[in-house]
Amino acid sequence: MGGASAAWADQPVERGIDFQPAATPAMAHIHSFHAFVLPIITVISVFVLALLLWVVIRYNRKANPTPRMFTHNMLVEVIWTIVPVLILVAIAWRSFPLLYEQERAPPAALTIKVVGNSWFWQYEYQDLGVTVASNRLPEEEARAQSRPNLLAVDNPIYVPVGENVSVLITSNDVIHSWTVPAFGVKQDAIPGRVNQGWFNVDRPGIYYGQCSELCGINHAYMPIEVRAVSREEFDRWVVSQGGTLADAAPAAAQPAPAPSAPAAGASPTR
Amino acid sequence: MATSTDAGAESVHHDDHRPSFYDWKRWAYSTNHKDIGTMYLVFAIIAGIIGAVLSGIIRWELAEPGVTILPHLVHVPDAMQAQLASGEITQAAVDAYRIDAAKHHYNVMVTMHGLIMIFFMVMPAMIGGFGNWFVPLMIGAPDMAFPRMNNISFWLLPASFALATISMLVPGNGQFPGFGGGWTLYPPLSTSATHHGGASMDLLILSLHIAGASSILGAINFITTIFNMRAPGMTLHRMPLFVWSILVTVWLLLLSLPVLAGALTMLLTDRNFGTQFFEPAGGGDPVMYQHLFWFFGHPEVYILILPGFGIVSQIVSTFSRKPVFGYLGMAYAMVSIGFIGFIVWAHHMYTVGMGFDLEAYFVAATMIIAVPTGIKIFSWIATMWGGSLEFKVPMLWAIGFIFLFTVGGVTGVVLANSGIDTALHDTYYVVAHFHYVLSLGAVFTIFAGFYYWIPKMSGYRYNGFLAGLHFWITFIGVNVIFFPQHFLGLQGMPRRYIDYPDAFRFWNHISSIGYAITFVGLIVFIIVLFDLFLARRRAGANPWGQGATTLEWTLSSPPPFHQFSELPVIKPDPHH
Amino acid sequence: MAAHSDVHHDYHLVDPSPWPLVGSISAFLMAVGGVVLMRGLGPEIENGGFLGDIFNHLFTKGHWPVFLAGTAGVALTMFGWWADVIRESRRGDHKPVVDIGLRYGMILFIASEVMFFVAWFWMFFELAIFHEHRAHWYIPTWDEGVAAAWSSWPPPNVNPFDPFHLPLINTLILLLSGTTVTWAHHAMQQGDRRGAMWGLILTVALGLLFTYVQFVLEYPHAGFRFGNTGETTTANVYGASFFMATGFHGAHVIIGTLFLFVCLLRLIAGQFTPTKHFGLEAAAWYWHFVDVVWLFLFTFVYVMPYLTMQGQ
Ligand code: HEA
Ligand code: HEA
Ligand code: CUA
Ligand SMILES: [Cu+2]
Repeated sequence: MGGASAAWADQPVERGIDFQPAATPAMAHIHSFHAFVLPIITVISVFVLALLLWVVIRYNRKANPTPRMFTHNMLVEVIWTIVPVLILVAIAWRSFPLLYEQERAPPAALTIKVVGNSWFWQYEYQDLGVTVASNRLPEEEARAQSRPNLLAVDNPIYVPVGENVSVLITSNDVIHSWTVPAFGVKQDAIPGRVNQGWFNVDRPGIYYGQCSELCGINHAYMPIEVRAVSREEFDRWVVSQGGTLADAAPAAAQPAPAPSAPAAGASPTR
Repeated sequence: MATSTDAGAESVHHDDHRPSFYDWKRWAYSTNHKDIGTMYLVFAIIAGIIGAVLSGIIRWELAEPGVTILPHLVHVPDAMQAQLASGEITQAAVDAYRIDAAKHHYNVMVTMHGLIMIFFMVMPAMIGGFGNWFVPLMIGAPDMAFPRMNNISFWLLPASFALATISMLVPGNGQFPGFGGGWTLYPPLSTSATHHGGASMDLLILSLHIAGASSILGAINFITTIFNMRAPGMTLHRMPLFVWSILVTVWLLLLSLPVLAGALTMLLTDRNFGTQFFEPAGGGDPVMYQHLFWFFGHPEVYILILPGFGIVSQIVSTFSRKPVFGYLGMAYAMVSIGFIGFIVWAHHMYTVGMGFDLEAYFVAATMIIAVPTGIKIFSWIATMWGGSLEFKVPMLWAIGFIFLFTVGGVTGVVLANSGIDTALHDTYYVVAHFHYVLSLGAVFTIFAGFYYWIPKMSGYRYNGFLAGLHFWITFIGVNVIFFPQHFLGLQGMPRRYIDYPDAFRFWNHISSIGYAITFVGLIVFIIVLFDLFLARRRAGANPWGQGATTLEWTLSSPPPFHQFSELPVIKPDPHH
Repeated sequence: MAAHSDVHHDYHLVDPSPWPLVGSISAFLMAVGGVVLMRGLGPEIENGGFLGDIFNHLFTKGHWPVFLAGTAGVALTMFGWWADVIRESRRGDHKPVVDIGLRYGMILFIASEVMFFVAWFWMFFELAIFHEHRAHWYIPTWDEGVAAAWSSWPPPNVNPFDPFHLPLINTLILLLSGTTVTWAHHAMQQGDRRGAMWGLILTVALGLLFTYVQFVLEYPHAGFRFGNTGETTTANVYGASFFMATGFHGAHVIIGTLFLFVCLLRLIAGQFTPTKHFGLEAAAWYWHFVDVVWLFLFTFVYVMPYLTMQGQ
């Protein structure tokens, strides 16, 4: 399963039956973990189904008019206790490193403060002096621009490709949850608390997410749009937003171009 | 045993003549476990139909992207209509009002659907209904330990349900009625004046308080009955597994519900008396509520399934004509599920930011539950192995349950892994998981138990063809509803969404079609009920033959108003 | 009664009773009434005619009738129900096996009460122990109010009680009452009704004294507030957790005192015998439970924060 090879599938697709393609190593690991457990649970379910079908066929009243009355069998009881334990140990073996990877954020090149509000997301690049409020792009505009309704926002945020980005997530009112499926990030935005998530995007693209904790009537209407771009383009974007680059690099000297779509010709839909 | 030396004159009520069905006091004042059980079952069926209708509205709304159905159901206040007529406001403003109201009502429906199904359908059906009816019968007791308290356990439920209903009618979120914060009632959404400033939430809190009190009293009653009223020779290790399942379940109720009561009280004081337990600015913490809630909430999900395990054990053994395989293992598997159930609660909170160590602990603890559950699954199959199986309708539901519960259980094991739950939490994958264990698990066992015991309870046989039809339609329907939801969840569709991006349309549409199929099944069920009571096909004392070995089958159908005036003496079963 | 003679067991098949239904309806009214008092079921209806008037007078914020009706019904239910229980006990329905059942019932009820207090202690410990953990990773500049509220336990601005004054006296009062109730129980078992009576009178008196000390002498002098008064936000949660935990305990003391008082009346009325006095035993169990909860409260809610403050 998977499909990490597809370049621009960064949003749900009609009739999709699997995860969205991974855009970060963390999500790639979630993919591989899923690729590991899905066969296991499928086999378990099919095994149970097969046993059921077998008893139905073999031991129905016609086939087996007189029941045997045994009620114990030490061997099988031990087996069906030990084997699941072993399977679970195997699952845990793959699971803990994944968890560890998500929890232990590496040093970040960029830190974004994400604040949930009813019902929009506010982003602060504190080191760069950029603040963005992302609201849902109204349906008519989204359709007019052929961007995905309920996923596209008016002011997307930009992040540089290939760099560790740390997100510090909190909320101004009720609990929200900041989620980008392709990044494998989902962290609750809880008032009073600051949660941390991190990602390192592999390749340029537009990535969408949706608020994932019930937050009132417009819970379904506070999407997330992240554009991963090259460092140069990111710097240009920062400047265009009135920010200052950390090292006052040459980019700051250039006239700020209008932010463009991350890569020419890349359509947001597959 | 000694004959009672009775001094009271009131005891004339104790004669064995069943009071008339139409005597309202028989029901209102009842101290008879079978009558009370019947009232619970009727209540559960009504609540189940209401819950199913609510889920129908949910599925209808979600059949297509956009806010499509609910705006039409919104009542526009008279004042607003007058303003519109006089041109003070535009049609667009009214439409916007409708949309906002619809969004809120959607949340209210999801919330109430969840609460009704759990508190007013599954629990009353399994514990109040089947538990009341069959625990005393199976252990050879004349009634419950506290028959009068038994009745208040029941009557508190309509009171609680009435409060929940009123909560849907009074102001909740601003002008919109009802509470729309999900069945988990998380603060600050549930305490915030801007989101839920109205009385709805307060009524809902008290509704749950009362439902909780009802269950705690019921739990005390069942434990006392099982510990103190077993017939001579009915040792704990000879009790039917259904009795074991109820015993474990009510312990979970007794120990987990008071914690919920505490958490609910904190919500109430946060809302009304400024305590700020869950308000960071005052020093509190919203996550603390989640801990308290799930300390109740996780045992609660086992409360919802354990009685079902018990029912399935009885049925599988009966229709295989074979004693349960590994009886002790089955009983103690339930005990360990109940025990472990208390120490895994935070697997519902992997995204709140708990830190690696805690999450790792909860991952491990949660997955362990798969082991005793697996023991149960395999022991059921081993019970059938070598048996002489007969596929009466209860058996169909039971076999369907074993498979579908496994499917729901193994997705639970996936969710247990915090690392992947990051991707799946609060998506439809979770919705699919818990409907497989609830709507295809718990509900299947309820129907299994219903068809198994209805001849005993009513004295009539159901129409086998219609009942079989009910099973097959429902089996297909619910799978069509919930299997595609796994796909939606993997693709990232969040739960509690009234509206979704176009890409999610296809599977949502299929899911809604599945609901239509299931609904037909529900209609067939109602026809079965009518047919049962109109056709009046008499059922003998034991319609299931030699496989049915528990005590209830030794009594007439329906059993006498007061059974076991002479206590039965139980001899050891040669097969254990 | 003829039919009764062929009942060959000792279990108590209770007569049909109106109390469960009356009790449930009353509980419902009490709940609705409580919400009416706190919040009202809705805003006043203008021009609503007769029905609107009824709504305005019964269901808008702050109106008492529904709540009082519910409370009266609950009180009536308790009175009538327990009167029935006493009557049944006296006419001999409580055979030994039924008596054992009552014991199970009481123990399980107390177990559920213990779990209720677990919730309050959980809340208290989480606030007390993890405040530093939260304050540690919280980034203070983001919200100074929260940072201040979480910086210490007890929070800034809180001046907790000195546990070794009134609280210690109350501890001694409760411990003493634990002995007097045991005295009453043992005297009862010995058939010493006078002794039992004095033991109960003393216990009830000590219970009342405890309540007096707590609610009249102690609470008004707290160096912190209950709930959000707007003055000192950071102290809120301390006051809330203190008053809710100790207040629920105080409510249980009052219930226990009433329970003991009823037993005293029943004793005087001659309803207890040396072999049959489960009401008294249940009251004693309950009282010991209340006592133990207090010891935990005293240790963790009074002494522990006080000592940590001394250490700072
Ligand atoms: C009847 C109710 C019920 C039952 C029985 C279960 C059973 C389980 N549940 Fe489920 N769960 C719910 C009801 C239930 N759940 C509900 C209602 C929610 C959502 C609440 C909300 O947020 O609204 C939820 C949510 C939920 C979550 C949180 C998801 C999230 O919000 O992100 C998790 C995570 O760990 C989880 C795990 C499990 C596990 C591991 C089991 C296990 O007990 C399952 C064990 C069973 C099996 C595994 C199958 C049989 C076993 C074998 C055949 C043996 C071999 C198997 C293996 C070796 C794997 N559940
Ligand atoms: C036992 C619990 C239970 C049951 C049976 C169901 C049944 C169904 N649920 Fe349920 N659902 C929940 C518990 C349950 N649900 C919970 C807890 C939530 C989460 C709420 C929240 O997010 O806060 C939820 C949420 C939920 C959602 C997600 C909404 C959202 O997140 O936006 C959806 C969407 O499709 C849905 C659909 C359905 C459907 C189509 C059914 C259908 O299967 C219904 C069909 C009807 C039946 C299968 C029969 C019903 C039973 C009887 C008539 C009683 C018979 C009684 C006797 C014989 C005694 N439910
Ligand atoms: Cu914000 Cu949901
Ligand atoms: Cu759980």
